[in-house]
Amino acid sequence: MLFNSIDFAFFLPLVFLLYWFFTKNNLKYQNILIVFASYLFYGWWDWRFLSLIIFSTLVDFSIGNLLRNERNITKRKIYLWTSIVVNLGFLGFFKYYNFFIESFTEAFSFFGNNIEGDRLNIILPVGISFYTFQTLSYTIDVYKEKLEPTKDIIAFTAFVSFFPQLVAGPIERATNLLPQFYKRREFNYALAIDGLRQILWGLFKKIVIADNCAKYANLIFNNSDDYSGSTLIMGALFFTFQIYGDFSGYSDIAIGTSRLFGFNLMQNFAFPYFSRDIAEFWRRWHISLSTWFRDYLYIPLGGSRGGTWMKIRNTFIIFIVSGFWHGANWTFVIWGFLNALYFLPLLLLNKNRVNTDLVANGGIFPNAKEIIQITFTFSLTVFAWIFFRANSVSHALNYIANIFTWDFFVKTEIFPNEIYWLVIFFILIEWFGKSSQFAIEKVHILPKVVRWGFYFGLIVLMFVYTGEEQQFIYFQF
Amino acid sequence: MKRFIKNIIVFIIFGLLIGEFIARWFALSSDIPNRTIDRYGIQKYIPNQHGTWKGGTHTWHINEKGWPGYLPKSNDNLITIIGDSFIENFMNPEECHQSVYLGKILPKYNYFEASRSGISFIEAMEISKQLDTLGPRFQVIHLHDSDLEESIMQLKKHNDITQLDVNKQKIIFGKMNSPGLKKILYNWKFMYYLYRRFPIWINKPNKTQNSKITLKNNKEGFNFKYYKKLLEYIVANYNIDDKILVFRPESTSELVKFAKDFGFKTIQLKTDINDHWSFEHDSHWTCYGHEKVAEQVAEYLKSLIPD
Repeated sequence: MLFNSIDFAFFLPLVFLLYWFFTKNNLKYQNILIVFASYLFYGWWDWRFLSLIIFSTLVDFSIGNLLRNERNITKRKIYLWTSIVVNLGFLGFFKYYNFFIESFTEAFSFFGNNIEGDRLNIILPVGISFYTFQTLSYTIDVYKEKLEPTKDIIAFTAFVSFFPQLVAGPIERATNLLPQFYKRREFNYALAIDGLRQILWGLFKKIVIADNCAKYANLIFNNSDDYSGSTLIMGALFFTFQIYGDFSGYSDIAIGTSRLFGFNLMQNFAFPYFSRDIAEFWRRWHISLSTWFRDYLYIPLGGSRGGTWMKIRNTFIIFIVSGFWHGANWTFVIWGFLNALYFLPLLLLNKNRVNTDLVANGGIFPNAKEIIQITFTFSLTVFAWIFFRANSVSHALNYIANIFTWDFFVKTEIFPNEIYWLVIFFILIEWFGKSSQFAIEKVHILPKVVRWGFYFGLIVLMFVYTGEEQQFIYFQF
Repeated sequence: MKRFIKNIIVFIIFGLLIGEFIARWFALSSDIPNRTIDRYGIQKYIPNQHGTWKGGTHTWHINEKGWPGYLPKSNDNLITIIGDSFIENFMNPEECHQSVYLGKILPKYNYFEASRSGISFIEAMEISKQLDTLGPRFQVIHLHDSDLEESIMQLKKHNDITQLDVNKQKIIFGKMNSPGLKKILYNWKFMYYLYRRFPIWINKPNKTQNSKITLKNNKEGFNFKYYKKLLEYIVANYNIDDKILVFRPESTSELVKFAKDFGFKTIQLKTDINDHWSFEHDSHWTCYGHEKVAEQVAEYLKSLIPD
């Protein structure tokens, strides 16, 4: 079920009413309802893959309980690795099997050995990368004794399958989300209203910004040989706003929906395109994944405790693995590699934690230095997105080569003015709201008439600019 | 919680009011005329209605006989034009109706249009039977392949479309589906806009129908056995001498031949692949398309009238 679908428009109010009116504020009933609603939400797409989630839930719940009483280090390690192998095994099979087969076949062919590799017709289960990482975080934290294993299977099932963030995150830590399922939720007016506001902003980002930018980004990327350099740059920019509107819009809807049910999820995006360097960008982009890799990969690898070479090695590993997490394609690996390259100078000069404060000190106008820094960082990001969006590495290289041709301004495609105005409006709202959790969070301080006028304005824009319904990009990851 | 629900309800009500205002101000959805069923069982429109097409680009009107468009000045030398939404033509100004274009090419004749979206072939024949009383020279019936299929109850039952029970050789007149609800929906402009813009119930297969039958006897791409019975019934019960069946360019040529073999005068419209007759997001003909159609129909009519 998509957040921007009619189905969800019926599903959400129904579950909301059942949750607050028929569970009688009983914790057990609340969790059971969340499990049922989540399975319905997921099964709406393909009920067969529910079995994967159920299996993963049972495995990690059991392993958590085995770890509770086990003091023998070897056995504890065996339990941990069982969970890792099962979870990553599913992920590897469904997501990467064909990629490895093709890559090996091509590699052998390159060296003159032609081998047959049979591709399988595999459907990628929606959200597998997200819930796999979420359940892994539970087992790892229990193994490290940062978290008490749960005995409440309903709470644990609800934690694994919680529908707002099941298919595209934020990837919650068990330490943050699981304890929320142990406590009875009581309706909180301010939290619910805040949730609705965040849902509204998320829908605006998705429907108005992402879906409309997608139209032009798809057009240009799918016909990149037909366009001049200036249009190709526009294509990369359209994709830059598409992916941000799409993914951060989804996160906003997920977080807002959770608030309606009395939950607090972590912030997943913190206005990344206003970052002054790449390190800041990665502290603000897909925060739940970046911190996951930091905590469960970078630090166990040694983090920045070793020498320079270890820091460089670990940085490249997490960026490349992060790229590979996004999809089974070399384009994602190169995207990760490029970001690691961007990060490298900051790491070597020990300047990766310079810009930890808010840009423009949270004020309205950035200074000249910040403008240059933001523009430079944004340009690097846009360049890397070309690899992320391209169908193949050769497509990406060809796209970039076509930008730098003599007919840069020849045959520049003219796009409707509306799309530019919408993106400018979006950037301004994000800029003015950059000190909040989400851009329109502070709207509540405005007088009711202005506030409601603003909400209706956003809704009207959504109706007017509803394009062809596009699936959320991150569903495929 | 009470405060939350109250605020949500007030917000939705405000939203609906603002939406209604915007929908009406910008004519986001078209006005839809109300229908009635006459004493012969034919669904037509309530006479003397007026309305605006979406965007406010043009208006339409229903004449005193309950059909869209102008009435002829006289019934002498009359040619009737019967059809579905293509001929009803609400999406174009009234200057783009078939009767107007044909009148320009063959001014000696008067033209009477009787059209309504969704009519079946058998219903078109029933309408033509009514119009026989006006003594027309010719009756031009515009058809799509599906109009024949929809005429046969055994292929797929439609409660709102007039059909022939080919086994009992009996016409089952269509009834209006939820007329009260439709009236509310059509007058609630914002809701109608949402309904059209975000369709929830699109082409859901009706599992209760006899859909299996259509797969049988499918010799020439259409259901031979049932079509034969339909045309036999029509030939036996209607005067077909003055009827001209106009098939669209995309119609199956076998079907056109099939109708011809039963004694109908037929035209299959022809268009070039680069000659676009339809709107970009709507299969209906534009004014240009209507003009081209009228030219081809007029050519055929000229061939029937030696003078």
